[in-house]
Amino acid sequence: MQTDHSRRRFLAGLSAAGAAGLIGAPKPARAEPPPEVTTVRLPVFANVSDCQTPIYIAEALLHGEGITDVRFIDKGTGPDSSDWLQHGEIDFDFNFPPAYIRSIAKGAALKVVAGMHVGCLELIADEHVRSVAELKGKKVGISEANSIPHLLLMIIAANVGLDPAKDIEWVTSPSSLDLLAEGKIDAFLATPPEPQIARDLKIGHVILNTAVDRPWSQYYCCMLGGTADYVANNPVATKRVLRALLKSVDFCVTDPESAARRVVDLGYAASYDYALQTMREVRYDKWRDYDPEDSMRFYTLRMLESEIITGNPKDIIATSTDWRFINELKREMKT
Amino acid sequence: MRWWALLALAVALSPALAHQSSRDERLPVIGPAPDFTLTSQDGAPFSLDRLRGKTIALTFIYTFCPDTCPLLTDKMARVQDELGPDFGTRIAFVSITVDPERDTPEVLKQYAENYGANPQGWYFLTGEAAAIREVERRYGVFAGKAADGSLDHTPLTSLIDSKGILRVQYLGVRFDPLEFRHDLLDLMGESQQD
Repeated sequence: MQTDHSRRRFLAGLSAAGAAGLIGAPKPARAEPPPEVTTVRLPVFANVSDCQTPIYIAEALLHGEGITDVRFIDKGTGPDSSDWLQHGEIDFDFNFPPAYIRSIAKGAALKVVAGMHVGCLELIADEHVRSVAELKGKKVGISEANSIPHLLLMIIAANVGLDPAKDIEWVTSPSSLDLLAEGKIDAFLATPPEPQIARDLKIGHVILNTAVDRPWSQYYCCMLGGTADYVANNPVATKRVLRALLKSVDFCVTDPESAARRVVDLGYAASYDYALQTMREVRYDKWRDYDPEDSMRFYTLRMLESEIITGNPKDIIATSTDWRFINELKREMKT
Repeated sequence: MRWWALLALAVALSPALAHQSSRDERLPVIGPAPDFTLTSQDGAPFSLDRLRGKTIALTFIYTFCPDTCPLLTDKMARVQDELGPDFGTRIAFVSITVDPERDTPEVLKQYAENYGANPQGWYFLTGEAAAIREVERRYGVFAGKAADGSLDHTPLTSLIDSKGILRVQYLGVRFDPLEFRHDLLDLMGESQQD
């Protein structure tokens, strides 16, 4: 009887689909109207965030989308661009999923709209530390307490069973790379160009690379998120901003030399060699491969486990993500 | 209703189902492809609307480009050869230089010959720098000179249907030529159905 029931269900579904084919003609698509606004405000961290190159070199592409007033913001309320987004001082941020999730859990009205790339973080340690688990009882450098690298390292440490509050001695410094070189800390989480500088100067060794080490390599490292107001009130502009930035991301894959040269010419990266290494090492080619919702869910769960936030992934995804734009653009732009 | 009656109904509706399925997979409609008038490799004025009725692949290159453009042009040349008699009659390629100062019609003509481009269906265009910049802007291509004088540009290939509607864009040069050809043939098929 089970077989008959299944067959009936299958046939009923097939008939209904066939009938739908007769009744429902495909909807005519409409040409994209001009953007509702011509302004966008984006974050910039000159010389300390080479992985954000796609944003820095996207101005001409944004102009081509009708976003003619592109403002790069280099400071705001709070230390991180996620704070600036939360305060409405920028329209979009290019940041780690936990940065958005923390803001959302605090009640910020944001919409995460796409994943941009995979893997730009490297956990660099001295020769005595060979794994994340061996960070227990060690000194780990961070720029400041509750900064985004601190947050990420707490998640990474908790994932191997450490209690980040008790098992790690956090050392605050403007340059963890210098402290590691001087033997004053045992490890720190490096963002481009720090991993490239560390390799060049032979400081420490890499114990975790989010571009290649699971589970981190299975999720987006940086995502694009906007204020809920901008995204809701300016859907055409949002799609155009995202289109320009994705073209820029892809340019970093297609022509890394030009992307590196350009970001140095613009004054947003200090070294062509380090910028070029970043272009080649960060997985910009993954922008269309992963499901961005998986990344939000993964990091939300890790942050809940670590008791960094309260809430649940379902609510965060339902209220604070909008994948319409990336889904449309994945159809419109092939690679 | 007996199960065999349902089966008969399903079979009767299956062509509609198949039709719906293939129609649902059509390439998206982005919007009207911006028109322009530039100069062809023969030195004659050339407007995009001259190709109305054909499926078009439109891209941006420059002949002195050391890396990405040769890959892109070679990929398109291979697809051109695979399209057989449809190339030129129903499908056309347009390659616009982003380096009009150096890429004169004569230079472009030689470049086209080097890649075996069929002049019946593949047009290489140049023009005044301002006109080229405007076309780049309207198609969402960035091109500019770096501080050392070299040219940067975002390789972008747009497929335009026979009604002049922009349907899909290929970023970079890594795209699958089989998928590219499939999309061209799909758009050509759509124009024959209309």
